[in-house]
Amino acid sequence: MTNVSFGDYLLNFGFGTKEEKTKILEMNPDKKVVMDLSCYDPISFYKKFPNLIGTFAALFADENKKIEVHLLEGVEDVLKKFIELGYTPVETTIVSCGFVFPRTISQIINEAYFALQEGVASREDIDRAMKFGVNYPKGPFEWAHGREMYVKTLLNELLSLTGDQRYKACPLL
Amino acid sequence: MKIERVVVIGAGTMGSGIAQWFAQEMCFVELVDNSSDQLDRAKKSIHDSWNKLVEKEKLTSCKAEQMKKLLEFKSLDNVSKNADLVVEAIIENLDVKKDLFAKLDKHFSEHTILSSNTSSFPIHLMAEAVSTARRGNFVGLHFFNPATIMKLVEVIKGKDSDQELCHELYSWFDSKGKKPALCKDSPGFIVNRVARNFYGEPLRIVGEDDERKMREVDHILKEVGGFKMGPFELMDMIGIDVNYSVTCSVWEAYDREPRFAPHRLQKKMVEDGRFGRKTKRGYYKYD
Repeated sequence: MTNVSFGDYLLNFGFGTKEEKTKILEMNPDKKVVMDLSCYDPISFYKKFPNLIGTFAALFADENKKIEVHLLEGVEDVLKKFIELGYTPVETTIVSCGFVFPRTISQIINEAYFALQEGVASREDIDRAMKFGVNYPKGPFEWAHGREMYVKTLLNELLSLTGDQRYKACPLL
Repeated sequence: MKIERVVVIGAGTMGSGIAQWFAQEMCFVELVDNSSDQLDRAKKSIHDSWNKLVEKEKLTSCKAEQMKKLLEFKSLDNVSKNADLVVEAIIENLDVKKDLFAKLDKHFSEHTILSSNTSSFPIHLMAEAVSTARRGNFVGLHFFNPATIMKLVEVIKGKDSDQELCHELYSWFDSKGKKPALCKDSPGFIVNRVARNFYGEPLRIVGEDDERKMREVDHILKEVGGFKMGPFELMDMIGIDVNYSVTCSVWEAYDREPRFAPHRLQKKMVEDGRFGRKTKRGYYKYD
């Protein structure tokens, strides 16, 4: 994890366990923290920590570095900082575990892994099918590359939050 | 592999598109339908499309005339027997398809490959309608709409389909500029299975009939994810009824596996007659 401080604000980037994320918030009670919670439920963090004033999902960002950002306050300053750091923030009002893109893409990736596990097709053919059959900008395995742990963590979080078996991660992940 | 003579059965949107694509690849194509009106409509639509390309100077008039000569419109009784490949693209009704394949099996020569463009039915169930000798030459070829533009062809290996034949078809389509994907005969094949959660998950994120939230989800998935269309506008375009029916069919085929479960909002929209653009009311309003 990386922390970037400016004025009263602290931006926390990167993957960490829930305990590690909690520790950052506990250790910075006087800072206005904006935290990457790509894999966790922002609502439970907002409820527990009044110093958390914003959350974002950067772990799933690709080369375009576009990220979902949800802010309770400090909007202009924080957005400016993201831009300064090379990100393109896309503001959202939807506070959902895994936001919108990470949650949707994780489920698509999970299904691609199940199809692979069942021998439906090769990784290459699954990627090719999704790109040239329904115009996805990338194939699920291309998206997943290097992010398998994030996908698995997010699915486990959604499973424990909702109890819905649809979020059960494919063992291949 | 040599594919020079192709028969496409069913002159609806998919069949016409498939026939047009094969003719553009300089195959001799017979497009077959039992409705002469349907054949006339398909002929007009394909010829209009080529004429437009000539006007835009994307196609020479000489080539367009050549393609028109390569594409014939016929009833099944008049179709030649020596095609290299037959592609079935009729309505999605298993019994009707099986009846057709039983006839095709008797009509065509031994070497003819029989294929189905089905998106819903297992290939091996249709293959049961043909003789044991034909089953090695029976595969799924799933094209995507519009077939002249969308590059994917899912080459589906049924239980008895010849493995080598599937690989040869893959290479043949690849050599013609298509992007084939080889897959096993399983519900939804690749695309209709893996794409289910592009709809299912956003429905769960939004959770209710809330147009503002749907717009936001569509915006984020286009902006952040790079998708050309958001899931709600796409479902409205495809038809919520059609999308719901595919979802239910895949869900049932996988013994109601929770990953494929339809969302209650999809059901409600269908019950309320809100099918999308075609009824001017779907997840969005179209006045």
